[in-house]
Amino acid sequence: MNLPIPHTDPMPLPAPVWLLRTLLLLTFFLHVLFMNCLLGGTAIALICMMRRKSSAYCAQLAGDLGRLLPSIFAFTITLGVAPLLFLQVMYGQFLYASSILIGVPWLGIIVMVVLAYYGVYFYSMHKQSGMTTAVLALVVLLLASIAFVYSNNFTLMLSPERWLEIYRSNAGGWTLNWSEPSLLPRYLHFVLGAFAVSGLGLLVLGLRQKADDYRQWLIEQGSMLFTGATILNFGVGFWFLARLPVSTRLAFIGGNGFATALLGIGMLLPLAAIAHLIMAKANKSPQRQLVIGVSCGVLTVAVMVIMRDVLRNLALAPYFSPNQLPVAPQWNIIVIFVVLFVAGLGTLYYMLRKVAIAGRMQAAAQKAE
Amino acid sequence: MNYPIWQLGFPGGLLIAAVAVLHVFISHFAVGGGAYLVLTEHRAYAHNDSELLGYVRLHSKFFALLTVVLGAVTGVGIWFTIGLVSPEATSSLIHTFVWGWAIEWVFFFVEIAAALIYAYNWDTLDRKTHLIIGWIYFVAAWLSLVVINGIITYMLTPGRWLETRTFWDGLFNPTYWASLWARTAMAAGLAGMFGLVTAMRERSPLRERVVRWAGWWLVLGIAALLPLSRWYFHDFPAYSRAYFSGTYMAVSHALRGGAACAGVALLLAVVFALLRPKMMNAVVVAVLLVAGFGVMGSGEYLREFSRYPYVINSYIYANDIRMAQLQGITANGVAKTSPWVETSAEDSNSYGRQLFVMECGTCHSVEGYRGMRKFARGWDAKFASELLLHLPIVRETMPPFAGDDHDRAALGGYLASLAPATPTGANEKALGQQVFAIHCSMCHSVGGQRRPLDLKGTDPDAIVGMVGSLHDMSPDMPSFTGTDAERHALAVYLSNPSQ
Repeated sequence: MNLPIPHTDPMPLPAPVWLLRTLLLLTFFLHVLFMNCLLGGTAIALICMMRRKSSAYCAQLAGDLGRLLPSIFAFTITLGVAPLLFLQVMYGQFLYASSILIGVPWLGIIVMVVLAYYGVYFYSMHKQSGMTTAVLALVVLLLASIAFVYSNNFTLMLSPERWLEIYRSNAGGWTLNWSEPSLLPRYLHFVLGAFAVSGLGLLVLGLRQKADDYRQWLIEQGSMLFTGATILNFGVGFWFLARLPVSTRLAFIGGNGFATALLGIGMLLPLAAIAHLIMAKANKSPQRQLVIGVSCGVLTVAVMVIMRDVLRNLALAPYFSPNQLPVAPQWNIIVIFVVLFVAGLGTLYYMLRKVAIAGRMQAAAQKAE
Repeated sequence: MNYPIWQLGFPGGLLIAAVAVLHVFISHFAVGGGAYLVLTEHRAYAHNDSELLGYVRLHSKFFALLTVVLGAVTGVGIWFTIGLVSPEATSSLIHTFVWGWAIEWVFFFVEIAAALIYAYNWDTLDRKTHLIIGWIYFVAAWLSLVVINGIITYMLTPGRWLETRTFWDGLFNPTYWASLWARTAMAAGLAGMFGLVTAMRERSPLRERVVRWAGWWLVLGIAALLPLSRWYFHDFPAYSRAYFSGTYMAVSHALRGGAACAGVALLLAVVFALLRPKMMNAVVVAVLLVAGFGVMGSGEYLREFSRYPYVINSYIYANDIRMAQLQGITANGVAKTSPWVETSAEDSNSYGRQLFVMECGTCHSVEGYRGMRKFARGWDAKFASELLLHLPIVRETMPPFAGDDHDRAALGGYLASLAPATPTGANEKALGQQVFAIHCSMCHSVGGQRRPLDLKGTDPDAIVGMVGSLHDMSPDMPSFTGTDAERHALAVYLSNPSQ
């Protein structure tokens, strides 16, 4: 069959594929961590807002999240830009084509992000009330919709066999990738993952608290959320696997050593995380176990990000691999980028450290009074 | 050709313009406003002015809310939009400048973090550290302009890049410096303009102090912008400088409108901010904002228009067709080149419509903006398809038609089907005027700016002879396809057009 896959760009890749892929996966991993905390965090804040009158902890957590969420949103967007850039260099011809086919919802992401972002600020800057709860509910809805559009585009870009049919029936871009069998499980898998990761986020927030009861409550809620969402995600994950095309599915269950190993590690790591969280519960000084549990959970995300990339490459393998592209690395600029990147991280560290020190000094001064 | 076309119902270029103008308006404020914040803070400390400090605290929160959210997200929005409307050009930009963008991203994350830390840590940080973070913000924001300015100017003046294809030649291209300083001046002007917005929340006498201070930013920024943008336009390629000669109404309007907005902004700022700061009020600030938006919008419009017929000068046409592709498409036809056109349709009109969408749709709609139904009134299929051979002559801003004779006939047929009309007139001269409108006015005027035809007093029979051999007079002219009566009427009109 003649598929309408656009020609690759006549210009060579400005960096070797391994470097682009490393940066793509690294920045995407960081983006996912924050994105998960944003999606899960707003949903948790919403639940807390609804229960704020019956639970003082809920009211306190809703307030804490209100202070954290705007920054988490900023990090999510900032860290999302980089992987989108590297994705375009390597897979542009697939991404542009599928984006055009669902142009309206795809561009709608921008509108939804602006609304959700201002919604989060509104929530953060106003007193807890029915109004802020309503705004927060809208934010959760918007973020869940944004995630759904992403799931649509990132599956559609892997299915060039469906493009012409969609284009012929709807050239205005008012559609989504509804006929994709793995769409729903994939979306649910990622959203549940977001809840699990924000459970870890609650846990970390708890570990940083001084107040004993609130700290304990946060750690318990975080562990429960992570455990519950992860157990559910095992089921959804198998559903997702079952809905993949046969060749891809087989690759993950023995056909491809690397893919299979990843799947195995990706299932063992969250189990290890859950085990440590449960052990921590019975332990009098659970700090160490909790940290190991959180680390296993974060590593799971890293493995999932790599698996997602493997899945993309398996799906595109019949048509394309970035490895077949000509490469003419712009080393001098890459060096400048790396130097500036390190300097940027250093600047970020400097600023955050100054804020942390100042915050601690202020707290100490207040205590002294 | 290579990609599907997002059929919005209006030209995709308009969408890019809408998102881009909104973004540049805020993002230039994000650059200049950074310097405004720290210098105002310095000033407050130097004069021991706690009221001014209160103002700049409030302003920093407004600044962060506007730039970090709407400014940053609309910037990503431009990316989304150009990928949807001009994927080929976007891909090319990404391949050329991915490391430029990666570097800009570094500045971007430093900028966002610094803006938030600056705005929300007035009480926690000591003065010196707070000022340092303000400066970090400004430097990072300006450096992101330093990078992105290279990519924007490259599209109009790629300069030596066309031969060398190197990153540095593309980035530091012929209009780089003029554009960088013009944008920096605009950033300062916008900093003052938005400084006035929050000043309206203050009470006298602080209000007057802030109004005058912000007014200086506005006046100096806009005053510097005028000579700098002249320098910038002066460095334009010769072909696009010709667009400024008066033949393109849209350019003249944008130029005059932009200059008028700048003049109004300067005048209002001098009177209401510097001379009579007590009289500054929300209405004047609103007019200033509109004028500022007008200056920014017209500048961006002129830059984009000057790029026509290209999206990347001498490399990719405005309709996203690569110059290098053109010969192949002409030889093989669109149907063999693009997998997206439906060739099975027997109906040649439907095929023509698809070609219209593909080749003309970035800039033209059927009914609305640059609507073809109005331009193509009275065209016949033969005339329209011949006209397609001469698009860059019809308008210097148009890319050449890409396709074989079959494609040209289909698109010509489609265009002719939009508004079929037989010229009629109360008398022969009125008829001739209509014939002129249909067959000649795309390229010629009578007594106007565009290739004026002055045949007044010429014997109508001689004109009839000329009209019969247009192609011999110039290979750039399509042959006349009207009836003998129409030809005669045209000759009568041209021989004596005035009465």
